[in-house]
Amino acid sequence: MNWRYRFILSGFIFLFVLVLARLFYWQVVRADELSVIARNQYERRISLDALRGEIKTSDNFPIAANKLTYLLFANPKQIKDTQKIAEKISSVLEADSASISAVLELDKFWVSIQNDLNHDQKEKISSMNIPGIGFEEQSSRFYPEASMAAKLLGFVGKGENGESKGYFGLEGYYDRQLKGKGAEAVVIHDALGKPILSKLDKNNKIDGRTLVLHTDRTIQFLLDEAIKDGVKKYGAKSAMAAVMDPKTGGILAMSSFPNFDPSNYAEYSDLFYKNPFISDTYEPGSTFKPLIMSSALDAGLVKADTKCSICSGPVSIGGYEIKTWNDKYYAGSSMTDVIMHSDNTGMVFAGQKLGLDKMVGYLQKFGIGETTGIDLQGEVGENLRPRDNWYPIDVATASFGQGITVTPIQLLTAFSAIANEGKRMEPHVVAKIITADAEEIKIKPKVLSRPISDRAAKVITEMMVNAVDNGEAKFAKPEGYRIAGKTGTAQIPVAGHYDPTKTIASFIGFAPADDPKFLMLVIFDRPTSSIYGAETAAPVFFSVAQKILTYYGITPTN
Amino acid sequence: MKKPIFIISIIFSIIVVLTIVRVGVENNVSTTGVELVKLEESLSSYRKANAILKERYLKEASLIEVSKKASSSGFVDAKSHVYLTEPLPIALGR
Repeated sequence: MNWRYRFILSGFIFLFVLVLARLFYWQVVRADELSVIARNQYERRISLDALRGEIKTSDNFPIAANKLTYLLFANPKQIKDTQKIAEKISSVLEADSASISAVLELDKFWVSIQNDLNHDQKEKISSMNIPGIGFEEQSSRFYPEASMAAKLLGFVGKGENGESKGYFGLEGYYDRQLKGKGAEAVVIHDALGKPILSKLDKNNKIDGRTLVLHTDRTIQFLLDEAIKDGVKKYGAKSAMAAVMDPKTGGILAMSSFPNFDPSNYAEYSDLFYKNPFISDTYEPGSTFKPLIMSSALDAGLVKADTKCSICSGPVSIGGYEIKTWNDKYYAGSSMTDVIMHSDNTGMVFAGQKLGLDKMVGYLQKFGIGETTGIDLQGEVGENLRPRDNWYPIDVATASFGQGITVTPIQLLTAFSAIANEGKRMEPHVVAKIITADAEEIKIKPKVLSRPISDRAAKVITEMMVNAVDNGEAKFAKPEGYRIAGKTGTAQIPVAGHYDPTKTIASFIGFAPADDPKFLMLVIFDRPTSSIYGAETAAPVFFSVAQKILTYYGITPTN
Repeated sequence: MKKPIFIISIIFSIIVVLTIVRVGVENNVSTTGVELVKLEESLSSYRKANAILKERYLKEASLIEVSKKASSSGFVDAKSHVYLTEPLPIALGR
């Protein structure tokens, strides 16, 4: 009996071990593979795309937003009469039916017919109930103000992997903050494909951040219109302008013409994408004079009533002869008169008083030769030539803004020191950033340097007010306001010499002079109706200034 | 002998009850998928409607559109201005 009992028991134990081994094989050895198969049966992964952040002006109006669009796709295997369907679709899309027909005849299971359909187009095609046609929702960038501030904004194109990417301007500079972070979520489905109620983990998706700008939509609109009209009126090749709050460095408006539409950027040459206000250099001409004069005042080398001892006629330096713009000379004129008459010989006097070392030192403090740090993609900065490469003629010509190059934003930023008690402010377009969690990150104004004292700033301001009231541009000035400003008519260097018929005409100024609310620079490239800044840029400046003063509710003081 | 049978009976009863409860709960949860789909579809359609309305509003409220409508309605730039208040003296202005 004993041996039978043991035999049967061994048999059961053997079977038990076999089952255990098999369980070990399926639950441990093949565990990973089987769990993947199981997950694929009941899990579905959905892609959660992050929404690109908006860009809003100071009144919280989005000038860059997102709109719902659709991608129209088809399964050519299900399309019977391609010609007829292509004609139906093309009538809605206003596209060529032959190209749509060609796409529908491809031997594929999925083809894309057109991107960026709006809701009305989608509904029309949907109502045709065409089998094999479908729509995929997309989010596209949308600019409600069309080409307004286009060069400030930049545009959104495609990156290397087909992802949305910002180029130029704010879209380029703040691309990482604007694009946010997409994520994948897992949804559990039953055998019929219906979702089972479970937590959808959306925590990893982070929508893009919203930018709120210093830019004032009204001022931007006024500036855009003025620049566009000015180019036509004065027959200029191009024009640009910007308005800044000199106390904070906030850019209230920035415009240039010719322009482009960021919604349809591909239809324009890429030459239009660049913002010349931050990317182009030029010789500033007489608009540079207040910087040199304020430096000489700050160094105590001249006063407002210091008499010029070399202003009775042309000045010879290093074999070159320096003349005034109109060949008129005022012997013994004061520094105030030198600015009023825009007298080159008087500026040579001030420049010689400063000397090379002090001049270069002050120019560096004014930020000439370095980038301003403005938050726009594409800024350039041309270095000042080393001190060893300066000759006496270079010191002379630099004192009236020739033989030295700047970007318009460098000049505007340098002037913020004159308008802001001697403090040069870092220019900024964005005032604050709002995260997806509604947290506000304010960008505080930053003082870049203090090139001149408050006293020197006040003296040069009075000189500039006198220049506006009594100088060549006085006829265009709005009545009753104290506006500080300076005209500029800079010759353009061409093949080693200056072309006397082609100029860069400009005007820079701020108002009200005693408590500046805005600082503006207007530049026309090669105007043909007149080459002078006083007759082109100055009237445009004053026209926009009058509108801004009215908009701000600032009453005349006189 | 009675005690082990009693314990086994209790354990067996608990297992049966828990199984019945589990089946009941899973049964209820499984049909909520249909409601979930309906809710998600509603949410999606409201979001789309919101996006479409927002796009239309932004276009209508843009300064370019307002300016066109103002121009066609006969509004023109003001040539002169009337000031009702006088400015503060400079000494009190800052």
